[in-house]
Amino acid sequence: MDGAWLWIAFALVALATHIPRGSFIVLGQRARLPQPVQDALRYAPAAALAAIVVPDVLVVDGAVQLINPKLAAAAVVLAVAMRWKNPWLPFIFGMAVLLFLRKGFGL
Amino acid sequence: MNPRFVEGARAGFKVFLPLSIGLIPWAIVTGVALRSAGLSIGEAMGMNLMVFAGVAQIGTLPLIMAGAPLWLIGLTALALNLRFVIFSAAIARGFDGVPLVRRMLSGYLLVDGVFAVCTQRLLAEPDRDWRFGYYIAPSLWAWGLWQSFVLVGVLGAGVLPQDWSLEFMATIALMVLLVPLSSNRPMLVAALVGGLASVALRGMPLKLGVIAAIVAGIAAGFAAQRILSDRSGAV
Repeated sequence: MDGAWLWIAFALVALATHIPRGSFIVLGQRARLPQPVQDALRYAPAAALAAIVVPDVLVVDGAVQLINPKLAAAAVVLAVAMRWKNPWLPFIFGMAVLLFLRKGFGL
Repeated sequence: MNPRFVEGARAGFKVFLPLSIGLIPWAIVTGVALRSAGLSIGEAMGMNLMVFAGVAQIGTLPLIMAGAPLWLIGLTALALNLRFVIFSAAIARGFDGVPLVRRMLSGYLLVDGVFAVCTQRLLAEPDRDWRFGYYIAPSLWAWGLWQSFVLVGVLGAGVLPQDWSLEFMATIALMVLLVPLSSNRPMLVAALVGGLASVALRGMPLKLGVIAAIVAGIAAGFAAQRILSDRSGAV
């Protein structure tokens, strides 16, 4: 991957970030999104985040594995994040579980 | 400076300050994740200044590093950022009477935390200078805090050992964002369908399965909302 391609990719992600952000603030009162569209779009972030995270913790070397260190760590992260508001705890517990399983048991 | 602007800026800063501390771990983790993925210090900070959106950066990073097609990278970033369209539509009235250049700056700076904390008061206040101060002060604070601590993560990533699976911190960050989003049932349905569809469709070429899964998740969430509200008799 050459350097110029990387910066084009960054610029594209920047555009795909700042057009949504600026959209209605910049357009002002001239534009309003239809209600059904607003309703449906509400689900985009949850669907997008899950579509990225779930394969990462469920798939090992191309195959679904229901017992693996990442999935165990993910379960702990979810439990901690649901129980406590502290933003550091999911990172501390999640990494502790993952490293314990990987280093301690060589998984 | 306009006294109403200063007054608004003080009020906005004060209300956002406690929440802003929550940005620090995200920023450090994002910095570490950018470096662990293989970006140089300059590339990592360049991306961070251009994009200024942790979720979009971490979410598109695997695609970028794998050399995925640009249109797929763009579409994925767009999907991850669609919430900002909703935020932007919801907060827009707060910028009535604010000049165009300032509205563009405000768009670049729009982040989840400031939106969550400031929108209600912003829409209720009549004075436009006060409103702009109330929005721009916490937004600039969030920007400075974010850039500083991403830099800490970017510089710190080099001294951290390589075999600690630190790239998993990005996954943790995404999960922590997912938890409050999934607090109602249609949202949970959208997340479950999106996640499982993404696993099922992982064999599709060009990671197209991710986009298909996001669309499936949105459709499932919307359908679940309809079904649940019909059943409860609510509108």
